[in-house]
Amino acid sequence: MLTRDRLGTFLAVVLSTAIVAAALLLWASARPRVPERFADLSVVVQSPAAANPAEFFTESVPWPAATAQELADRLGALPGVTAVVQDRPFYAQPVRSGRPVPGQTTGYGWTASAGPLVAGEPPAGERDVVVGADLGVPIGQDVTLLTATGPASWRVTGHVDTSAVFVSDDVAARLQPGVRAIGLGGSPDPAAVRAAVGEAGVVLTGAARGALEPRADARTRWIGTQVMSATVALAGFACVFLVASTSAFAVNQRRREIGLLRAVGATPRQIRATLYRSALLTGGFAAGLGVVLGGVAALPLAGFLVDAGFEPPGFSVRWEPWALAVAFLAGPVVSLLGAAASARRASRIGPLEALRVAEVEGRPMSRPRWIAGLAAAVFGAAAGIYTATAASVTDMAQFALLGAMALVVAAALLAPAVVPLLVRVLLRPLTGITGTLVRQSALAGVRRTASTAAPVLLTVAFGVFIAGTVQTSTAAYAARRAAAVHTGSVLIPDGTPGLTDAAAPDAPLPTQVYVAGSAVAAVGLPIQAPGTALVAPAAADRFGASVTLTYADGVRETLRITGTAPAGPVAADLVLARGVVRDHDRSALAPAAFTPNAVPTPGAELVSVATYASRADAEEDRLVWSFTLLLLGMSAGAGALAVANTLLMATRHRIRDYRVLRLAGATPRQVAATVALESTLVVTIGSILGAAAAILALLGSARSLSAQVGTEISVVIPWSLMALVVATCLLLALVASTPSAFSARPTR
Amino acid sequence: MTVSLRDVRMIYRTGTRQVLALDDVTVEFPPGTFSAVMGPSGSGKSTLLHCAAGLERPAGGHVSIAGTTLGDLGETALTQLRRDRVGFIFQAFNLVSSLSAAQNVALPLRLAGRRPTTGEVTAALAEVGLADRARHRPSELSGGEQQRVAIARALITRPAVVFADEPTGALDNRTSRQVLDLLRALVDEHGQTIVMVTHDPVAAAVADRVLLLADGRIAGEFAELDAGAIAARMTMLESAC
Repeated sequence: MLTRDRLGTFLAVVLSTAIVAAALLLWASARPRVPERFADLSVVVQSPAAANPAEFFTESVPWPAATAQELADRLGALPGVTAVVQDRPFYAQPVRSGRPVPGQTTGYGWTASAGPLVAGEPPAGERDVVVGADLGVPIGQDVTLLTATGPASWRVTGHVDTSAVFVSDDVAARLQPGVRAIGLGGSPDPAAVRAAVGEAGVVLTGAARGALEPRADARTRWIGTQVMSATVALAGFACVFLVASTSAFAVNQRRREIGLLRAVGATPRQIRATLYRSALLTGGFAAGLGVVLGGVAALPLAGFLVDAGFEPPGFSVRWEPWALAVAFLAGPVVSLLGAAASARRASRIGPLEALRVAEVEGRPMSRPRWIAGLAAAVFGAAAGIYTATAASVTDMAQFALLGAMALVVAAALLAPAVVPLLVRVLLRPLTGITGTLVRQSALAGVRRTASTAAPVLLTVAFGVFIAGTVQTSTAAYAARRAAAVHTGSVLIPDGTPGLTDAAAPDAPLPTQVYVAGSAVAAVGLPIQAPGTALVAPAAADRFGASVTLTYADGVRETLRITGTAPAGPVAADLVLARGVVRDHDRSALAPAAFTPNAVPTPGAELVSVATYASRADAEEDRLVWSFTLLLLGMSAGAGALAVANTLLMATRHRIRDYRVLRLAGATPRQVAATVALESTLVVTIGSILGAAAAILALLGSARSLSAQVGTEISVVIPWSLMALVVATCLLLALVASTPSAFSARPTR
Repeated sequence: MTVSLRDVRMIYRTGTRQVLALDDVTVEFPPGTFSAVMGPSGSGKSTLLHCAAGLERPAGGHVSIAGTTLGDLGETALTQLRRDRVGFIFQAFNLVSSLSAAQNVALPLRLAGRRPTTGEVTAALAEVGLADRARHRPSELSGGEQQRVAIARALITRPAVVFADEPTGALDNRTSRQVLDLLRALVDEHGQTIVMVTHDPVAAAVADRVLLLADGRIAGEFAELDAGAIAARMTMLESAC
């Protein structure tokens, strides 16, 4: 049942269903989690959401302090409400031994629901604070706390058993006047709450309170989802591609056998049905195994995703039956899709094929092949052009991947048209008999050569494309940062989310403001006068002579627009006065300070422009690299297996040729050399075509990045990685093909 | 002696059953002779040819070609000996399908590391009457033409002996005749040694002597008979089994 011809399909389907199953499981497992501080509050009212698209992860439009208080009073009067908590998270980070404590960056107001006090008293005074017992500061002692204005000394009045910082409600209201969520304790009737809130906010209960998770976590989850989607898309594509090329190959090899079936009376429909049935069966069995493997693989993968930062801590696999079912169904479907083209071609094989003595191919390029290949090429080019003009990074990435897939298909389909030329050019330096034999054999079997090269093509193309995209965009963003900075050194945060006023009093201060319900990025600069604003050139047509905006504390103000903003290192649509930003956003932190005479303080470090340019997005780059490795490992792994399998098949079917060679006087070594050269030729052709497809797709991404960044970005080709992928393919190809050639005997 | 076999024994194992394909066969093929080996199916005639040509190693006994004992040679040395001293002609032609007629003819020399001149190859093809087919691939040639290319290829190394395994088995009467005449002419005009396995009495009648093989043993030897007499002997032999 499992012949070696089917083994190729089987392996491809096992691999891809395993990948799809694991990815879908993880995808389905990614659900927002209710933040701990809301766990005991059965109903939470959230301020109105911003009108931005979901993937911007903007926070909701805050209520100003007075509105929040008024709403809280109204809700407090409802029956069943035992407590009303105005949620006021702000930036506060304890400093221990001169170093900011990593990961502890948020402070809250003390309320009844804040958590059981392990020891001591709740915070009451101006400089009172309750900290986690694990911080190690005894009650009654002072601790240095960093807030957005800078470090200050606070008196520890109590301990809690979580790693958080709590201050008195009054202090919290001063540090974070705006409110984005009001939690209700007790058991109020959600409908009554809704009636009381009206249009002023959104009422969340139960699991829906997951919407309150930190935006950074939501963004992390979203990145994880993107990774999973890309993985599923790539796995599905690779599978269809590999199954298609394997079964096309198998049909080509079995022409004589199929011709014989036709000669003894099989109708074309019966031939097709046989191939479909075989594909369905193989796909079904393979999918069963694949789903099991995928389920098992999902467990360690979940840990990897958390470690790599694609999923927030606490993420674990949820066994959704539908995810497993979908992955299982994908197997036979993908297998059928892959077999479709070759089944059609097989059914057109005539009965006379059985009588052919030599296996010589007809025209290498059939008309449907030309049409499909050119269509894929046109689609790939169109996606490339669209990529080049795409304004957002998400669009760019999606279209570039789509374009790359189309170009890979085009390259594989059109390969027979260029294989003869490549064969002649590549083998020109070889004048010996081995070169002649390989050249003639490749030219006589152009289609066979092309389909043997197909898995190499896929593997190299995706390897080069994925790594090239990452390296090109990393280079692009580093270039943008370096170009925007003119000072010799830069002050950057060290262990903190940003620089405080004490560290960088004049640094550009980014904040988020809301204009007509949508979040807009703004930056505070010291040179700007209060009451006025500048508009970035790209956003100029969205604003008139004045702009009415809501600050982070919920306060509304109308500003006069006095001109266009110069390009600066912090990207923003609006430029405001720095003092105004600080007044309205008391947790705002500067990402970096570009003053030449900056001095390092706790939580800040001085670095060169080059270091800043390369390090500012180090975290993001690391994420992207983990992503890259995941995709690469997958596509290259699947591809490499296919390479080995195809060559094994090819060699086995050509044992007769090797026997003839041996009879003509070739030593085993000569036959092996011929086979090795042939495998090398195939890998070289696949690599050239794959790299060409990938580089074409990369050109589109580079153009798009150039437009986004504003400087000319050239494509970075990942040479070392390309060499590694090609070498792996070559090694596998040689291992798969030469030993069986060595054993070819002259008789029987 | 060009080729000699002494006490050659060959056993095939199929599952648990053993088949004695050659049972201590001793036979010699003198230079410049045309020998035909006949026998019913399964009599061991193909095995005899394979052992005599060094394509298979016998389980016992000695084979020598042009004075070299094959048993002492490794696989590579054996291949080189075959390449230099032995020519092959098969029922299935066994041409390399991707190479042209001229390239197929040149193949043994090129495998030996020699680059034959165009004239050399053309002369070899002309000798079998195919000078104008040099650039055609096997799939573009008729069966008779393919077999003549195979003969040209077998002769290009000026071998000490040519082994032919049912050379006319896949050909019609007329092309068979052409191929047989060609082989006869090689013996008469160039003193070529030829050993031919066949079951066709007409083909065997072209040879100088006919060896009859049955159950892995030499069952008879005769010379200078016509096809009818050979066919009669064969029928007797087959009914005796």
